[in-house]
Amino acid sequence: MNEERELAISPIVHSSVQHNSQVVSNIRNLTASLFGVAAGTLGLESYPGFLFYLVGTLIVSSLIFAFRTDGKPTEYFHQPLGDLWGGDVFSGLSGFVLTWTLFYGLVRA
Amino acid sequence: MTLLSTTLNAVGLIFLTHAVYSTHEHTTTFPSAPLPLDITVELLFSTLVLSAGIVFASPSLKPIQWSRWAGKIEREGRQSEGTWTREGEEVLDEGDPYAFLGLDGGIGGKGEGRRGFWDVRGKRQEYAEWVKSGGKN
Repeated sequence: MNEERELAISPIVHSSVQHNSQVVSNIRNLTASLFGVAAGTLGLESYPGFLFYLVGTLIVSSLIFAFRTDGKPTEYFHQPLGDLWGGDVFSGLSGFVLTWTLFYGLVRA
Repeated sequence: MTLLSTTLNAVGLIFLTHAVYSTHEHTTTFPSAPLPLDITVELLFSTLVLSAGIVFASPSLKPIQWSRWAGKIEREGRQSEGTWTREGEEVLDEGDPYAFLGLDGGIGGKGEGRRGFWDVRGKRQEYAEWVKSGGKN
């Protein structure tokens, strides 16, 4: 009820929300494949590989936080924790695994 | 911003290609030796540079609160999105959704500021003054 009133007072522009989440998901997909290349070339296996991906996404999130939102994520994301820091982390995972296995096979095996 | 992102991406790609090639050469020569530190550092550095380049190359975010978003449009007007159609027309981002009302015309101007809006009282007063003045002009 409180949030509803809050939204009635300061409404949200849906096209901007869509645009922002699309930008974040684009960045996530591109960087996920990039981290896959790095993980496969480094020869990481099993849990260290996934840990590498999580650390990489955290770095990318902080890059977005610092250079795209200028340190004010509430202005661009309705829920900064879910939409910026955790947004599309698991949808990029498949691209990560794809390039990870590909480059592990090409370079290491 | 585009020059910076292009430079970062180009430098990152060169280093990444070099690092992956070096790793390939190293593992074919010494299959069981661990990766040297310089290749690892180069790989991680190129990954960082490339991800920074990708973030810089992405289009800027738009404010989600209506007031901030509308204020930005008011201040800056319609901006180019950095893309052009095949006919060579510049693609602009979204503008003021109420621009068709023409409200801006009424600020400091002689117009009523709204299309299809007729100031009845103003017209009545004008008519009364015209009658008072004896129906001249």
